[in-house]
Amino acid sequence: MKNHNITTAQFALETALEKGCNDVRITLNESRQNTFTFRNDQLDRLQQATSSSLFLQLYVDGKYGTFSTNKMDRKELLDFISKGVEITKLITEDKDRGLPDKNLYYRGGRKDLRQYDKLYSNISTEQKINIAKECNYEILGKDERILNVTSEFSDYEEYNLIIDSQGFMGETEQTNFAISTDCSVKGIEDARPEGWWYESSLFFNKLYYQGCGEKALGRALKKIGPKKLRSGRYNMIVENTVSSRLIAPIISALNGANIQQNNSFLQNKLGKKVFSPLLEIYDNAHLPESFGARYFDSEGVATQPMKIIDCGTINTYFVNSYYSKKTGLPVTVDSPSVPECYVAGDNNCKIIIKDLNFLLNKSLNGVLVTGFNGGNSNSSTGDFSFGIEGFYFENGECLFPVSEMNITGNIISLWNSIIDLGNDPRTSNRWLIPSLLFEDVDFNGF
Amino acid sequence: MIHSLLQLFGVTEDKLKELITISLAEGGDYSDLFFEHTLVDELTLRDGEVNGAGSHIDYGMGIRVLAGDRTGYAYTEITSMKEMINAAKSASIIAKECTKSEPAMDVTPLKYKNHYPIMVPWEESSITSRSIYLKELNDKIFSFDSRVNKVLGRLTISLTEILFYNSEGILCADERPMATLSVTVIMQQGSRIENGSSSRSFRMGAEFLTHQLIDEIAKEVVENTSILFDAEIPQGGEMPVVMSAGGSGILLHEAIGHSFEADFNRQNISIFSEKFGKKICSEEISVVDDGTITSNRGAVNFDDEGVPGQKTYMVTQGYLTSYLHDRISAKFYNTAPTGNGRRESFRFMPIPRMRATYMLNGKSKESDIIASVKKGIYVDTFSNGQVQIGAGDFTFYVKSGNLIENGRLTKPIKDINIIGNGPMALADIVAVADNSMIDNGAWICGKEQYCPVSCGMPSVLISKLIIGGVQQ
Repeated sequence: MKNHNITTAQFALETALEKGCNDVRITLNESRQNTFTFRNDQLDRLQQATSSSLFLQLYVDGKYGTFSTNKMDRKELLDFISKGVEITKLITEDKDRGLPDKNLYYRGGRKDLRQYDKLYSNISTEQKINIAKECNYEILGKDERILNVTSEFSDYEEYNLIIDSQGFMGETEQTNFAISTDCSVKGIEDARPEGWWYESSLFFNKLYYQGCGEKALGRALKKIGPKKLRSGRYNMIVENTVSSRLIAPIISALNGANIQQNNSFLQNKLGKKVFSPLLEIYDNAHLPESFGARYFDSEGVATQPMKIIDCGTINTYFVNSYYSKKTGLPVTVDSPSVPECYVAGDNNCKIIIKDLNFLLNKSLNGVLVTGFNGGNSNSSTGDFSFGIEGFYFENGECLFPVSEMNITGNIISLWNSIIDLGNDPRTSNRWLIPSLLFEDVDFNGF
Repeated sequence: MIHSLLQLFGVTEDKLKELITISLAEGGDYSDLFFEHTLVDELTLRDGEVNGAGSHIDYGMGIRVLAGDRTGYAYTEITSMKEMINAAKSASIIAKECTKSEPAMDVTPLKYKNHYPIMVPWEESSITSRSIYLKELNDKIFSFDSRVNKVLGRLTISLTEILFYNSEGILCADERPMATLSVTVIMQQGSRIENGSSSRSFRMGAEFLTHQLIDEIAKEVVENTSILFDAEIPQGGEMPVVMSAGGSGILLHEAIGHSFEADFNRQNISIFSEKFGKKICSEEISVVDDGTITSNRGAVNFDDEGVPGQKTYMVTQGYLTSYLHDRISAKFYNTAPTGNGRRESFRFMPIPRMRATYMLNGKSKESDIIASVKKGIYVDTFSNGQVQIGAGDFTFYVKSGNLIENGRLTKPIKDINIIGNGPMALADIVAVADNSMIDNGAWICGKEQYCPVSCGMPSVLISKLIIGGVQQ
């Protein structure tokens, strides 16, 4: 597979140069995926596919175009690239477009990040279907309120190759296995609350699927009969299953494109203390056996483990070579790889288990958020408003489910009201964000 | 068109029949073949110049086998018989040990009406001529307001060619154009920065690009963004909401549209699963999902399982009269498919999806509706929404609107989420205006896969919803 793809990518690169490009980057992707969905007591859906795509970034006399195709036939590629070069010549020059400084490239030689399961091809269809089936059978018939149970096993194998005309070449291979269970139960009147659970792993033998069905059923049953609370300020705990939702606006605001477009509430905040001194966000870019770990970004620029937010201070933006030239900021990487989040200075201290129960007992009263329902945040101002669901708790005990409520505020203010962060991130998630405890959050109910 | 697409995909009618026969060899009731070639061209305006271009090809075919309500699906990006036979065999696994059915021997071309005629083919519009419009958009936006700081524009033209054949012998071909112009504006007043977006999207040829269109979008985006400097986040809580005509159709899409998609209902997981034929709201309310509006973003000549585009009355004078069906759910409910079986591309199996969802006119005047509210809010621009099918809780995000105080629109408001419960919100619509209109923005629905849709609405008053906001 590798040799064939390298040959195709090199053909595309050489063709583009011959047709008049000054510089070229080729990104080639090939993947295989399978999905098996078991609904109640039978296999409901199966889907199998192989995909490939070739993505070309062409630099012609200071002009820039992006082109992609999944038709790899040589003659068709030749025509496609020729047209791409001609199209690129017709637009306006942008002198800031170009390949990065070669000194920033990843040079290879590092340890394997262990993201590929060599057993991938040996796992039978029956094994995969049985995992989904087992998750359903954990709960089918266990509770008369169950209306529907669906478990889905999915896997993929992915190969990525980047080469460019300055000589960079980087390859990655990754596998992934995931299982999810959704359970709907009879609620009050016509309502049909749903509960879900999800596990994933880069390695088949580390996919801990047992209990997935039971967790989904338990979560669904707990959601029967939700209430709205009176509008007001409450302590808020956000469960580790969904806590990345509150980090995402920060990561987006640190993106070089938003900084350059003057569309970030963290504009001109580099090196400044913006958030609570408790907050530390770290990009653990080389963490082995993790989903997003990588030695180079989409331009081939070497990644480094680094602090993103250090004791509440903005330590870096995510700036690729284009936005570096536009803004004068140094090149970092295009985006974070494996963001982790913890109490500043506490990353190696896991003697105390700070899970959801720890935070519930610490907070005593408030709202535990277990799901977000829509909402958005304003990239320019940081103002946000999200729909939520979860549980009202007192003295550390969840009393009843809540739904049909919003939380509203500003991301900077919110992260200044953080009281504590757990140390319980889910390794099934790409971003390793733990459960979070905030105080004085505006909840909107009746 | 059928002949040229058979050539494009390198197949013949006999080969189509052979693939169908192989796909049903293990058993099953039905199978279909979906061939697609999509070409997307785009131009990007950034920092005052049209300095980004792109072109993207997606090519392949998918084979689906149905055995009862179970689905086997496989796709390939190489349309050689060898690869397609492999895909057919993969999809057929779902039907192992099921009763076999015989595919039709005769080919029947599907008759349908063309809902998106192209007046000027995009081939007649050069990159240079398209760039002129983007540049004009940039210049107009800057000319309208000195607070404009950045303009990011994008023109996307796609043409999707579809060839479809199924085990009933139905053969059809379609060319689906889509032209989308979108713009984001950043404005600065002192240290305060606000952003706003606007877009138009139609299934049209190059007649899409006009100076009038550019003027319309430029004015709209500047007006919608500049008002935000005076806007505040209101006090949150439960209150009456007047939803303006047009984009408020997002309410229908989220609050009831998804819950009416029949896959959720046949699985008994929608809050409307037991409401068919029952009265669910005021008799003044009728809601339609329509695939036949000329050049509309949600129009389909036929859906992605070969069913002609049509207009479906979901709610008729307050009664739930139809779910939105694909072939699987139509068979389950022993009714005809409604032409809602859609998919993002050949990589996905079709599922019930909306097209253009809107509410028909009522009798009230918008001004009277606003005047009837003592304290509430009026909302007019939106960005995104979501729904929980089983619980019925839906949300949509309001970019701008106004407070209503003593029957009058007062302070502008912004950046709030609104949340409600679908059946309750529908029942709480107490007035419907006579100003229904379709919003022609670039709406995208994200149910499992992405699909272009549109929505519309007359102004309505909902007696209570939960408004996001801060304690004053």
